[in-house]
Amino acid sequence: MTPNYELSSCTNIHMKVPPLSVAHSTIHLINRFMVLIAWCLIFSLGFSAKAQAEDEKDADYNTHGRHATATHSGSYEAPLPVELSTDPDLCAYVPCSDVFPNADYFSSRKGRPAYVEAYRSKKVEDKENGHHTQDESRVLLGYVFLSTDIVDIPAYSGKPVVTLMGMDVSGKIVGVKVLKHSEPILLVGIPERELTKFIKQFVGKHAWDKLEIGKARAEGGYIGIDAISGATVTVISENQVVMRCAYEIAKQVGIIKAVPRPQAEFTSISEQRNWDELLAEGSIQHLTVSPADVGLDNTSQPYIDLYFGYLNAPAIGRSILGERNYAGLMAELKPNEHAVFIVANGAASFKGSGFVRGGIYDRIQVSQDMDSFTFRDTDYRNLYNIQAVGAPEFNESGIFIIRSASFSAAYPWSLVFLGNKMDRQTGTKTFANFDREYWLQSRYLQGGRPVIIKSDPVWLKIWKSRIKEIVGFISILIFTATIYARRDNLVRRSNRKDKRWVSIPKYAIWMTSIGFIGFGLMAQPSITQVLTWFHSMLFQWKWELFLSDPFIFIFWLFIILTVFVWGRGLFCGWMCPFGSLTELLYKIAEKVGLKRFQFIPSNAVHERLKWLKYGIFLVLLIVSFFSMGLAEKLAEVEPFKTTFLVGLFNRSWPYTLFTATLLGLSLFTERPFCKYLCPLGAALAMPTTFRWFGLKRKQECTSCTACAKGCGSQAIDHKGVIDHRECLLCLDCMVLYYDDHACPPLSKERKLRTLSGLPLTRISAGGYYIPIHPINEKGVDK
Amino acid sequence: MNPNINNNAPTYAHVSGIKWVVCEIIDHLWPWNKEGWRQHKAIETAGMALAIAATVAWLLAANRQLGASAVIGWWLGWSIYEIIIRMQCKPYIKDGPWWRHNYRPASRMDMFCYVMFKNLLIGVILFSVLRNLGLLQMVD
Ligand code: SF4
Ligand code: SF4
Repeated sequence: MTPNYELSSCTNIHMKVPPLSVAHSTIHLINRFMVLIAWCLIFSLGFSAKAQAEDEKDADYNTHGRHATATHSGSYEAPLPVELSTDPDLCAYVPCSDVFPNADYFSSRKGRPAYVEAYRSKKVEDKENGHHTQDESRVLLGYVFLSTDIVDIPAYSGKPVVTLMGMDVSGKIVGVKVLKHSEPILLVGIPERELTKFIKQFVGKHAWDKLEIGKARAEGGYIGIDAISGATVTVISENQVVMRCAYEIAKQVGIIKAVPRPQAEFTSISEQRNWDELLAEGSIQHLTVSPADVGLDNTSQPYIDLYFGYLNAPAIGRSILGERNYAGLMAELKPNEHAVFIVANGAASFKGSGFVRGGIYDRIQVSQDMDSFTFRDTDYRNLYNIQAVGAPEFNESGIFIIRSASFSAAYPWSLVFLGNKMDRQTGTKTFANFDREYWLQSRYLQGGRPVIIKSDPVWLKIWKSRIKEIVGFISILIFTATIYARRDNLVRRSNRKDKRWVSIPKYAIWMTSIGFIGFGLMAQPSITQVLTWFHSMLFQWKWELFLSDPFIFIFWLFIILTVFVWGRGLFCGWMCPFGSLTELLYKIAEKVGLKRFQFIPSNAVHERLKWLKYGIFLVLLIVSFFSMGLAEKLAEVEPFKTTFLVGLFNRSWPYTLFTATLLGLSLFTERPFCKYLCPLGAALAMPTTFRWFGLKRKQECTSCTACAKGCGSQAIDHKGVIDHRECLLCLDCMVLYYDDHACPPLSKERKLRTLSGLPLTRISAGGYYIPIHPINEKGVDK
Repeated sequence: MNPNINNNAPTYAHVSGIKWVVCEIIDHLWPWNKEGWRQHKAIETAGMALAIAATVAWLLAANRQLGASAVIGWWLGWSIYEIIIRMQCKPYIKDGPWWRHNYRPASRMDMFCYVMFKNLLIGVILFSVLRNLGLLQMVD
């Protein structure tokens, strides 16, 4: 073939672009392709709305069900009345009878944390008249309580799952209902019935039971409950919410008796210390809440800036109160009574403005393990000034007395500031806890601090429970990176007709990726994670959020690293479960006789359509700044959840049809979704602009189109330049680059050398035979 | 080797050591150059105005007078302008490893990706500083 170019200088190459001649059959194929793409688009836009309508239909149906069986439907971001968290009549706003079907009367909110009592009216038969009358007296059946009145445990979304629970007088849970959740995975990934099944497991359990997600452990008396696969974080936090709330209320109403803790014995150290020393050694702790933490505009002063410490320890008590006041306070305290001082500045008051004499301080409490201790006015003493040298001025101060043998200063405890966080959009207030741990220094405790085994944070539990899979997963990633790093070796061994050296490892990785990573671990990365990264980077970085899914976390580390080193191609071309699935389908179709129907979109069509994915990504990014929920719904343009998480036939038909269309289309053209629609591919393509190591090119690539013709990703332009954003690193062009029977300039050189009887030397990294320099007798290069 | 890379590198491409690092930092932060200024006075002037506006936005944010969304809006506007001006004044981007001195002519998409990514990183650093100083209202 005569190359169609003219060289004007070594560096400036002016190409004559070959005229765009499109045969009739190609036009036909393009048309067909365009129609299919258009259908995909129409579906992708239309099906979200349709699916939502289906969900709403489900919700309507389910409202006729009873408590735990069908109670959570339509609970995704369900609007809750603003008064819910404050009005004494809780049951006027939430369906208490759903979680306590036998009760016919509910009291107003009582206690701290709040609960309502559930009663059944006594019916006595009026024998004379033969009909039932209602007696004045009622029988107490149990208690109903709202999770956000008791705990502040965020789920996967960072927001709480608002749950209503019923518990009978024996401490048995009789009903659970999710009123509102913000878990995107339960909205678009996992059917709501999975959540129904999950919360049903709590019914019949007791407030003191130790429930764990997964198989029951032999030791420790744990009861195992089934998880929702793919929503591990949600179920772990919901388990904590339900069991913690039941325990708190059961303890408050006297079903669970307080268990005394071994009390602290103090050392004789009593030398007084100044404020800074006490702060530095941890004998005074500091807790700050900013206005933004409670949903208010930041101002120049914190919402509350609070310092606290334990006064019974002689050294601390004397330093803070002075010798005389300390002695007076200790003389007043009975055994098992403990004094804590609190001082604060800031816009808010820790004593609370709604506090009335005889009432409870509703802004602070002390918690130790599962126990919490609240303060009444009789537990309060004035603290007029702090004796410790260097103590700043404070607006508010006080001493609070804990009167319980269940509290022990030998063990860690926390001061909890109970705030209300206002949702700016809805104006609703939700309960928000801010706490700081306190543990007396070992120098003040006889025998030092006792050894305690702290329970692992949720994310660590997840990592530990899946350690084998994690090791397997990391091995696969290392194997893939190693194979790719050795690509030069592999492509040199291969040639255009026999690419085994590249394809065998690649096909093995694809299959592992589809089977193990996609269907097994459900670790298909998604654009929603990119959006979450964006928001977290700009707003608030929460490691727990990312660590809670080990596979996604590790995968993203791998992706970020490899995108900068080699470009998106290593992930997209070798590791993405969906990408691998679609290309495997294409290869299988080729082998089973569908090759004659397979087509490559013309360059003109490809050049236009490839921008679509960038548009989709940018739209999602912009929408996410206004509404993350909407962005997550729109991100359903990715068929990943339908394919790997939920299953093709477990979703409503628009999702299934959309995914099936994409998979079907993949039989006839290579990776249509990756090339034109995938927002994740686009998000990874953008930083690929700065990948460190690209693919090799030689001077003749500018005019020779051999590689470009074989590039399934259509990433090589008419000037021979590889667009690394589009390249999926299949390595086909690299095989050609070193193949002296396929690469036209190399083949030409081979023929010339053979004709002139010159040896065929090794092909250099530049893609040419190593030049032969005649040497003289002394071995010096001529 | 990329046969299509021509000598469109910045003038400092041949210097080395710490001097090169300083030039690189200035190059990332300063999108204009003298030639561009002479050729595109109007657009450069508008750009300077926009740069001042974006700086003021960050300063206001540092004084707690501008919310996060307003800062993001300004930063996005500035980024779009920076793409245009860089295509006029500094139409190249780094090619290959960041520590090497290779540059290539930038296509519009190259420049878009470069400016957006660079400004995202700068934005993240500034946001974190303001947030840690408690100066920016960070309600997501
Ligand atoms: S483009 Fe999307 S679906 Fe395709 S391989 Fe990349 S991430 Fe996976
Ligand atoms: S043929 Fe070359 S340019 Fe095309 S996708 Fe494969 S590796 Fe990338």
